[in-house]
Order: sequence, then structure tokens, then C-alpha cells
Amino acid sequence: MKKIKIIAGITWAFVGLILIIILFPGLNSFSFSVSKLPFMKLNPRYTGGEIANQIIAENCTLNIRKPVFNGFLRERNSGFVQLDWHGTIPEMINDSIDYDHDGKKDFCIFIDRKNSKTVLNPLSAKVKGVAISTPTSYGWAVRVGLLKE
Amino acid sequence: MDNTFKIAGMRKSFGKSLLYTLPMFLITFMFMTGGRPNFSDLSSALALVSAFLLVNILYFFMHFTGKTDRYRAILFIIFALSLSYTLIHNMLEVRKSMSFSQADILECKIPFCHLVIPMMILPAVFTKSIIFPGSILGGFANISSMVVLWLVATVVLGRGFCSWGCFYGGWDDGFSRIRKKPVIRKVSELWKWMPFAVLLMVALTSAVALLPTYCSWICPFKAVTEFEQVASVESATKAGIFLSLFGGLVIALPVMTKKRSQCSFLCPMGAVNTLSNKITPFTLKIDKQACTECLKCVEVCPLYALSPEDIKAGKVSIFCSKCGKCVDACSKNAIHYGIKGIPAGTMKNFSRNLFLFVSFLFMAIFSAGAIISTLQGLLKLIF
Amino acid sequence: MTDSLILGLSSGSACLATCGMVMFPYLMAGSSGVKRIALDLTLFLLTRFLVYFILATLSWYFGQAFFSNPVVRNIVPGILYIVFAVMLIWYSISKNRNPDCPAKIVQTVNNHRLVPILLGIVNSLGFCPALFIILTKGATQSTLVQSYIAFLAFFIGSSIWFLPLPLAGKIRKKEVLKNIGILATGLAGIIFMIKGLTNLIGGIING
Repeated sequence: MKKIKIIAGITWAFVGLILIIILFPGLNSFSFSVSKLPFMKLNPRYTGGEIANQIIAENCTLNIRKPVFNGFLRERNSGFVQLDWHGTIPEMINDSIDYDHDGKKDFCIFIDRKNSKTVLNPLSAKVKGVAISTPTSYGWAVRVGLLKE
Repeated sequence: MDNTFKIAGMRKSFGKSLLYTLPMFLITFMFMTGGRPNFSDLSSALALVSAFLLVNILYFFMHFTGKTDRYRAILFIIFALSLSYTLIHNMLEVRKSMSFSQADILECKIPFCHLVIPMMILPAVFTKSIIFPGSILGGFANISSMVVLWLVATVVLGRGFCSWGCFYGGWDDGFSRIRKKPVIRKVSELWKWMPFAVLLMVALTSAVALLPTYCSWICPFKAVTEFEQVASVESATKAGIFLSLFGGLVIALPVMTKKRSQCSFLCPMGAVNTLSNKITPFTLKIDKQACTECLKCVEVCPLYALSPEDIKAGKVSIFCSKCGKCVDACSKNAIHYGIKGIPAGTMKNFSRNLFLFVSFLFMAIFSAGAIISTLQGLLKLIF
Repeated sequence: MTDSLILGLSSGSACLATCGMVMFPYLMAGSSGVKRIALDLTLFLLTRFLVYFILATLSWYFGQAFFSNPVVRNIVPGILYIVFAVMLIWYSISKNRNPDCPAKIVQTVNNHRLVPILLGIVNSLGFCPALFIILTKGATQSTLVQSYIAFLAFFIGSSIWFLPLPLAGKIRKKEVLKNIGILATGLAGIIFMIKGLTNLIGGIING
């Protein structure tokens, strides 16, 4: 029994040695495999949610994402919808947005990019206000706070 | 006479030490150069050669002198300083500021660190997603790579990750060595369970908020890496908390107690790694026949992993990070590196040699990038 | 919901520590084996569940009648959170952690079958700040169903601490778990203090 324990211990130690030796050269491939696991995707609260609709203008594209109400065990009562402007964006942005595709505009957003000023005019009771409005590497992003009901 | 016994036990001759260093020499050369050393740029070449020599000289001296902790600590502290320098330098170069903006968060450009992992688990299970604004794959410090690195290191080293891998631990390890004698000698046993309480609370609050609350509110190392732009009362409060905790737990308390206070009293990752000490093959053992219960090891242990009761029982607790300080302090060679399954007091040299190779190799390769980058930066400043 | 879950988890540890000394012997008394104790525990928890169901209903109707002012809806929970936070922090730093438990009254009852039910009633109606907070939470929900959900989460959070009771005799390292529980309770107190101050300041500013 004592001998078995010693052999098992030394074997496990050498397995550890091998793991450390192959860890760094194999890091890319191990990381790739880990990234394929079902839970290895960013929470929509960080990505902004999937793109639900695109409005393409001359040189500018507006992505309207799906509203995000994700919670831990169930959806939360409050969330947000993210808007992304890509491409050659005008100095002043003035858009009316229907984020829930019910045919009715939910809010109007006005952005003065030069002065970093954002004004939101809610047209629906579910729209709370601007949570984030910021320049990004691709253009501009806004998150508008929403209530679920 | 005691030291001679100890030195004769662990210390190797010059030739033997060189022989033991050879595998480290070859493997680190392969990893640092990718097999094809590029000496076209002088500062890059100097940085590479310096880093390479640093790690191998330190490893050589571990074998030649029979001491572990002081050489481990040199690389460990340099790693911590280098990583902070690299991160801050990168932030200042790219963003002209140490703080990250809302855009960086929205575009998921935040580098991932292993301290987030305990907070990710519950949300990953229940929401099947990662609650961190980083990159899953690709880019600097992406989530997948850091998870793999930490997982393998913690399975093999257990809490040894805290003394051989964690790129923050070098800070409080360094500050704990400043004074010759501690000012505060006695700290209640209760506090060493605090990391578990912190782990429980950050895991729960992160799950509730879907936000890594430790990173967001209490990580002291935000003070030396990157933090949220101070643009509101909330972000200013957070910055205040980071700086206070860094000042208190990373600088002041380690200086006064000569212990690694942040790691002992706050870090939730330390709590997770403590649990993984149960599965790692490496451990520390006490040869009860050689032990005189002088308790020198208890006095020097930086993580409160040893107590008089433990010494009497001949067991090292799960808080041990295998730093080697107690091994170096023991004049009877009674406390030693061991492998699970091998009885205490036997195969001491074999166990030490194997553990040192595994742990030092990990630390050398993990730290190489940051050290080379820092040296390059410093050389560019000088020349 | 998760807020209420955390509230239940935070109060449960202190509650178990306070009342465990009384409840545990009764749950164990006259029993042979884990199965019998588990049955008693189930009765105890079912009773708590029923009491919370009733409290959820009553608190919501009470809230509809008296808690319509949005300022009050922030200030009252804010104050209660602060009181609860102080209680948790005091518990964690105090040397004496076994104050009187209302469940002691059950010691006078002879019928063993009634004991788990009576314990359940007494424990769930024990007037501690956490109960007042969850009552306020139930009162300020917009629908009755949301009030039920809040109480359910609180019930689950507080009940988790009682689940290991049948195996308490077999659990090693109780001292370690107790230490972690004490420290976690103190940390929870700090979190609730921040939450309470945020609610209070928000309510005062809006008022």
C-alpha cells in the first residue's frame, strides 16, 4: 500500500511536470478549445446584445440591438437597448428609434458629437433615459435605459 | 553545525548545479526566443539576454546555495513590478491615461486577470455567459488563455500559484521584506478565514449584479494597473477604496507584520487556490524525527500557514503557498518540499528538485514577456 | 429576487447561530436517524413557507394602502437596511453571539409532533430587521406575484442554513465554517450599510 502511494504520488507529480511543459506551447490550442465551451460567450450586458435591426444611410450604418434585460435567475425589470453608429457619422445625429418593432417610435435621440451632448426625448413610458453615450473606435454608441413593463 | 547539515542536505556542487540548470536553460531559451533568436534590434536583444540570464542565474543559485525563497522572491517581485510597468506603459501610450473609458468597456477591451475567475463561476453556470468586458479569444490577456493558464497552474501547484505565478503577489511579498523585525507580531487566527468570507460575498454579489464586484469595488491592485475613469461620485469612491486598500493591505500591513497581508486577509483567489492544495501533487512535509519544535518556521511563514499546533501534529496547513521561506529557515532540514504519497523525511532532494523545476519553469515563462517588455522600455529610455 | 435571496442568506447565518442552540436539540430530540430529523426539518420549513406566504400577501395589501409615496418607498427600506447592517456588523465583531432566541418558548411544549410546526411559526415571525426589510420589500412591489417572489427568495436564502442541521453531528470542521460565517456576516453588513445609505440619500434627494 505504501509503495502504491509513493508510485501514485510520483506519477501525479510527473503528470504535473508534463502539464507545465506543454502548457505554453499548447496555450493557443487549449484556449481555442476552452473558447468553444457553451458558457464561453460574453453576457449581453457587456456586448450590448445581438443586432436586431440595421439602418443604412449613405456612409453611416446604425445598428439597433435587441433590448437586454438579462438577470441572474430571471429577467430584470429594467434593462437597456444599445445603438451603434458606424462609418462616417455626421457631427449632429438626430434619429427616431423604434427598438421593439411595433411600428411606433419609442424615443428620439439627438447627439452633438463635437460637444459630447446627448439629448433623449422619450415617446414611450418604457424609456427611462440615457445610460451611456460615448465615442468609440468605430463611431458612437448609446445605451438607453428601459423598463420591461 | 546545524547549517552545515542543512547546506550539505540541499546544497549542490557547482558542477551539479550547472547540470540541474541545463534543462531550465534549454527550455527557457526555446520559449523566450521561439527557437529563433532575433538580435536585429539592440534593445530587444539586450532585454532578451538579460531576462534569460536573470531566470537561469536565479535557478542556478537555488541549487547551488540550497536556498529557495530569496531567489524565488527576486523573480516574483520583478514580475509584479514588470507587469505593472508594462500595463501602465501600454495604457499611457495607447490611451494617454491609466484609466479605461466607457468605450473600452462597451467594446470589451479590458484585459482579463485570474482574480475574476471565482466571480465568473455562478453566472457561468446559471446564465451560460461570462460577466466580464473582455475578449474571449485573441488580443492581450484574453479570457480563454488566462483561464487555461490558471487552471493548469492551480491543479499542479495548488496555492503555490500564489507564490510562483500570481503577478500581483510580488507587491506585498516585496513590502513584507523591508523591515528586519515585525512591529505587529500577533494577529487573530480568525482573520486568515477572511478570504473565504470575501470569496463567498463576491461570488454572491457578482451573481446578483452580473458584475465582477471584487474588480469593480475592492481590488487593491487597480492602484498599479488600470482602473475606471474617475468621472462620477461612484468611480471616485472606487478609486479611493483601491488606493486605501493598496496602501493598507499591500504596503503598510506587510511592512509592519512582515506577512503578505493582502494575500492572507483579502484575496478571494487565494481562498480558491487554498482549496486546490488538496489536489496538487506537491506539498510541504515535516520530518518529526528531525523537528525540534523551535517554531522558527511559524515565525517566518508569510501566509499564516503554520502554527505551533500544526508543527506538533507534523502537518502543514492548506494555506501553504510553497514559497520555501520555512524550508530555508529550518536549521534541521525538518520541514521540506514533498510529494503526496511519499512519507515525510524521505526523498527530500528528489521532491525539492522536481517541485523547483516545475514551479520555477512556470514562473520563468509566465513572467518572461513582461520582464522583457519592461527591460526594452527601460533601455529605450536610457539610450 | 436575487436581492431578497441575499437578504435571506445574510439573516439566516445570524439567525441559525442565535436560535440553533434551541432548535437543534428539538429537531434531534427523540429521533433516531437522519430520516426522522429530515422529516421534522421539512415540517419546520413548510411552516415557515406558509407563514411567509401569508406575510407576503398581507404586506403587499398594506403597501398598496400606505406605501404609495415613492420617497417613503426609498427612505423606509434605507433606514431598515442600515439597522440590519449595524446588527450584522455587531454580530460579527461581538464576543457574545448567543443572545436570547424567541424559539426558547417552544421548550414549554410537550407534544413532539407540534414542536417543528411551532418552531417554524416562532422562527419566521422572529422580529429581526431582516424580516422588517422583507416586509417593506413586499409592500413596495408593484404586483402581488412580485411580493410572493421576493418572500420566496428570502425563504430560500434563509432556509439554506438549516438544511445541514440533520447532518450537523457528522460535519467536521464546524469551527472553520463558523468563522467564515461570522466574517461573511460582517461583510454582508458593510454591503447592506452601503445599500441602505444609497437608498436613504436617494430618497432624501428626491424628496
